[in-house]
Amino acid sequence: MTATATAPKQVRRRRRVRAIEGQELALIAVTGLLWVVLSVATDTFLTSGNIQNILFTVAPIALIGIGMTAVIVTAGIDVSVGSQAAVVMVVIALLVRDAGLAFVPALAVAIVSGLVLGAVNGLLVAYGGIHPIIVTFGTLNIYRFVALQIFGSEQVAGVPGTFSPIGGGAEGRLLGVPTAWWLTLVLAAGMWAYMRFWATGRHLYAVGGDALAARLAGVRVRRRQISAYVLTGACVGLAACVLIGSGGLVQQNVGSGLELRVIAAVVIGGTSIIGGRGTVLGTLLGALLVGTVTSAVTLLSWPSELTQLFIGLFILVAVGVDLLRERRRSTR
Amino acid sequence: MTETQVPPTPVNGREERGESLPARVLRVALTERVVLLAVLLVVVVVWFRVLGDGGYLVAPYDVRYLGNALESMVPFALLAMAELFVIVSGRGGIDLSVGAIVSLAGMVFGLTVGVWGWPLVPSVVACIAVGALLGAVNGALVAYLRFPALIATLATYYAYSSIALVSNANAPISTPPVVALHGLTRNVDLPLLPPVPLHVFTILLPCAVLAWVLLSRSTYGRSLYAVGTNDVAAGYATQRVTRTRFSAYVISGLLSGVVALVTVAQFASARPDAGTVGNGMALPAITVAVLGGVAIQGGIGRVGGVLVAALLVTWLNAGMLLAFEGSEGSRYQLLALGLVLVLSALLNTLALRRYGRLS
Repeated sequence: MTATATAPKQVRRRRRVRAIEGQELALIAVTGLLWVVLSVATDTFLTSGNIQNILFTVAPIALIGIGMTAVIVTAGIDVSVGSQAAVVMVVIALLVRDAGLAFVPALAVAIVSGLVLGAVNGLLVAYGGIHPIIVTFGTLNIYRFVALQIFGSEQVAGVPGTFSPIGGGAEGRLLGVPTAWWLTLVLAAGMWAYMRFWATGRHLYAVGGDALAARLAGVRVRRRQISAYVLTGACVGLAACVLIGSGGLVQQNVGSGLELRVIAAVVIGGTSIIGGRGTVLGTLLGALLVGTVTSAVTLLSWPSELTQLFIGLFILVAVGVDLLRERRRSTR
Repeated sequence: MTETQVPPTPVNGREERGESLPARVLRVALTERVVLLAVLLVVVVVWFRVLGDGGYLVAPYDVRYLGNALESMVPFALLAMAELFVIVSGRGGIDLSVGAIVSLAGMVFGLTVGVWGWPLVPSVVACIAVGALLGAVNGALVAYLRFPALIATLATYYAYSSIALVSNANAPISTPPVVALHGLTRNVDLPLLPPVPLHVFTILLPCAVLAWVLLSRSTYGRSLYAVGTNDVAAGYATQRVTRTRFSAYVISGLLSGVVALVTVAQFASARPDAGTVGNGMALPAITVAVLGGVAIQGGIGRVGGVLVAALLVTWLNAGMLLAFEGSEGSRYQLLALGLVLVLSALLNTLALRRYGRLS
């Protein structure tokens, strides 16, 4: 890191080297406060079953959020992840059920098919010169079509428990914590280190900050953009396996609306939608907050539709706080 | 963005005079979006007519069917116009919340007219006013508080759709006064023309004319295009940047309120998920707008292009429903929507790169 850092970066580096930034501290505080309040207000919140359930349901969102953080840091966005997940899920559900694929090959197929779907997005964004939201809105529809075509107008029932090692059941736990969550933590840690210490990881921020300046400084802008979308695709592949989990039924509407929850988690985690700023740690915390709110609304037996209202408000507060900080930083 | 700021080169005029016929055809097709869309529209209609004559369609693709299909065009054309205002206003302008506004304003309409027994006119006013109010919230967030439009409208999409669902405990309102509204969308018989849904004339055309006057024939429209093209320059040119941008979101909300009326009348029921079910209404609206030549960078786009694009998508979708049996037609609609969106955006990029202008 020090070897690559040039003189003007020295100032930035001092700020960046802190492990946790302001927004992340605030998120930890808010989530912690919610947990304390909920533990007092309900008998059921602070039970191992409920915590395990929260962590398991948050895992796919956080997993995709890891890739999405990279995409949004490069000033992009990927709204097609829900449809990508649908394609991957129906493909591996059929393979596991009809061809009897084992855990590891199925996982590999899932990740590779996710990679391919992500690569299409990345290529269109990098070489097509189209705004990422338009590209991924388009592929959202196209991938949904592909998924429905593979479904062939019926849902996939009776999927075996090939993925139960990372599923939501008792088999899918390690030391009492869902394996899917361990997986998320390991990947997030890897991504955190990559985006902080690797040259190409730092380049993601450069691309999002100012793509032209980054290109002039020798960053391979297109390659970084494509890599971010490909990574997101791979994360979607993994998340699809987690979503299939213990098997059972895969319905045709799987994954619809997933993209909004992922983007919400990333944005609540303090990643700037304009690009150039954000951390995977924040995304993890953002996903946890979204999961906690969802669980809270259920446990307090409020109408489940209220969850969305709270997520919307959290997004507004998170972005508002971020804008305020940014304004103070620029006037200083 | 950089492409739009490049001024047209002085030699442009000479080039245009000296260019060959194919080059001129290409230039007109790429830069005059209405021309390209009109050609595509003819191609689509002829194509499905040929398929129909060959017996490949499950029902005749005739003039009567095309007239009926206009019913589904009204909401999307109106929402695409809403996106037109917002996207033209620039700085990443986009409104993801239009579908949620349709749901919520529709529920307000359903409650006022169907449950609280208000007369029709005040309820209509209330519905549109709620739409404008919700749009004003978006506008305040984006223009005054300078939230990125994508995130602000994503958040309000969540909030509005949630409130719409909670407002009547997730149940639709279809009391007799609401059902009676269905008459507003009945077909009218015209001389020489097939029956056309009434609200094409009572709602869509007046709104389109108003939007056109506002954008192309008023100082407000010039100001909006100026702000969308370069808000710093517009600021120096004494335009009220913030207020102009704010008003674009209010207009978007207003149009969504009108769409709420239309959907309630169409379904004879106020549904809490009217604008958000499935992929929602925002996505097709943005697709139609981009297809109609609205550049996502802002400052570029016209009402005419959006209307023809809406017509094209409507008749294409209507044809595809006939070309396949069962649910397969609606599946292929997804594919077509996605491909059309990506391809038309590619076309926009190409036109901007090559000629520095669009529509």
